[in-house]
Amino acid sequence: MHLLLGHSGDSCCTGVLARLAARGLPARIVASPLAPPACVAWRLADDGLTSRLDLGDDPAEIAGVLVRGTAWFDPAGWAPGDHAYMQAEMLAATLAWLAGLPCPVINRPSAALWYGGRASLLTWRPLLRRCGLPVPEQLITNDPAEARAFRRRLVADGVAGAVYAPLTGEARYLVATDAAWEGLADLQERSPVCLSEPHGAAHPACIVGGKIVWDDEAPPESRALAPRLRQLAAATRLDFLEVVIARLRRGLGVVMVEPMPVLEHFTAPARARILDALTALLAPFAAEPEALR
Amino acid sequence: MILVCGGLADRVTELVCARLQHCGYPYRLLDLARYPAGYRVAWRWTDAGPAGTIAGPDWALDLDALTGVYVRFLGPEGRLPPQGDPEAAAALQFEADAGLVALLENLPCPVVNRIGGGMSNNSKPFQALLLRRAGLKVPTTLVTSDPAAARAFHAEYGEVIYKSASGIRSIVRRLGPAQQARLAFLRHGPAQFQAFVPGRNVRVHTVGDAVFATRIETEAVDYRYAHLDGLNVAMTAVTLPAAVKAACLRAARDLDLLFAGIDLKETPDGEYVCFEVNPCPGFIYYERHTGQQISAALADLLNGTAPAAWRATRQATN
Repeated sequence: MHLLLGHSGDSCCTGVLARLAARGLPARIVASPLAPPACVAWRLADDGLTSRLDLGDDPAEIAGVLVRGTAWFDPAGWAPGDHAYMQAEMLAATLAWLAGLPCPVINRPSAALWYGGRASLLTWRPLLRRCGLPVPEQLITNDPAEARAFRRRLVADGVAGAVYAPLTGEARYLVATDAAWEGLADLQERSPVCLSEPHGAAHPACIVGGKIVWDDEAPPESRALAPRLRQLAAATRLDFLEVVIARLRRGLGVVMVEPMPVLEHFTAPARARILDALTALLAPFAAEPEALR
Repeated sequence: MILVCGGLADRVTELVCARLQHCGYPYRLLDLARYPAGYRVAWRWTDAGPAGTIAGPDWALDLDALTGVYVRFLGPEGRLPPQGDPEAAAALQFEADAGLVALLENLPCPVVNRIGGGMSNNSKPFQALLLRRAGLKVPTTLVTSDPAAARAFHAEYGEVIYKSASGIRSIVRRLGPAQQARLAFLRHGPAQFQAFVPGRNVRVHTVGDAVFATRIETEAVDYRYAHLDGLNVAMTAVTLPAAVKAACLRAARDLDLLFAGIDLKETPDGEYVCFEVNPCPGFIYYERHTGQQISAALADLLNGTAPAAWRATRQATN
């Protein structure tokens, strides 16, 4: 039995589920594997670690796990404080359970990944730098004069605006007009802001195991980054990683790292290649269905 | 120059500042009760690490000049009341903190502690796996939502404690008859049980390569809460066996913690069993009871000074 830990609507989960089914391998999508009605017993002792998970209707051994989400605990019937506690307990138990599984787990999370939430590009910078991957210039400041100096540097390089990218959200705003820069200065009165140099069209690449799946529209020269991307994936200890590459002022660079790749960022043929690679990684010894040969 | 990020109302931050002052090590306090109000920051990332400045009410420092950073984030109760719309103020505060965390993650100097290092403390059983890998013995642990498994565990070990698997409501309690009667509720979600380990508590603080061990003797199951039961606590500085000391240092290094508080128990057989690692230890309690120079070692680490050199400086100052 393969477990796909994630939302039932997640396209990675559904795509891998269909491929496993085509290979005759039992699999199921679960949002929270340890939540009722599941019954878990995880035991760590001097003689080693044992764990047993009974999902209620299928006693089969777990052959592999794809991690696409954390363990969400249904709040129904719980007081808010108790629910927060139970949610924290479920996350803690699930992380330990995943860490101790002897089968393939894609992506087996670290505590930092499990609890850290969505990490901004700034968080990935030291690792990207170590792997020799270029990154855009970024600035955090609450000093309007520093923001203006950043604007002047960009203008000098022929770039008309900067990107205001809050570290705690996913929205991105192009700051290009005088009014927009004034609005930014107002915001700086309350909090430092994170500015980035703008980039050209974004092209995602997906690293699955040692294989890199390029988006079909990626510029050919981006493929020269392949060894460094593999090095990045190895450094993160993740089997499944999305990296977005784009043209910066001084050449191609990485503008986003996503440890929970989004299939929808890719063209349909690339999606299929990603799902095939994921399935092969999860069930390496399963024969491909005849129709796919 | 050392940067201390914390609140002066926080006793641990206050002690760190006092120790730096006493050692004559230059430092600046970034008061997290107020930050970002009253501070000017400009941190720029190009192809290298971050460069730039932090300016406080009457000082400015260059990131290149930093020898070390000590950070102790505050809860909402430690912050000044927000101005204006509380929701917007909270979002802006969150954004300001995220920027500071990003800076700390990127700085090349020692940071006590980077936030990622402390994440394993949110899952005690996960952390137990890491501690075991570092060479520390951990208590026999069961995480289960199966009442029968919990009963069997209790029958096997006789004396069992339970505590949260996460960092929330983390009080250790014995599994007594009242709790055994409620084991059926485990079906709502897993809980963590451990075979009771008899012996004396030992708290270890690792500061870089320095190790300070304190033996704690009390009748309480959880000595941190002994006062709640009206019980006394006695503390003594002790020397750990070399293998245990090395494993503690390895665990701190594996968890990326330059400063860690490690909870051990010394059993009657002379074994040391590790319960958990605290990434933000409030070490005052131990330093005051034993006179161990924990804060001095921390000051050395932040200043980039070898302990021997620090001792010589202190003797000269005295």
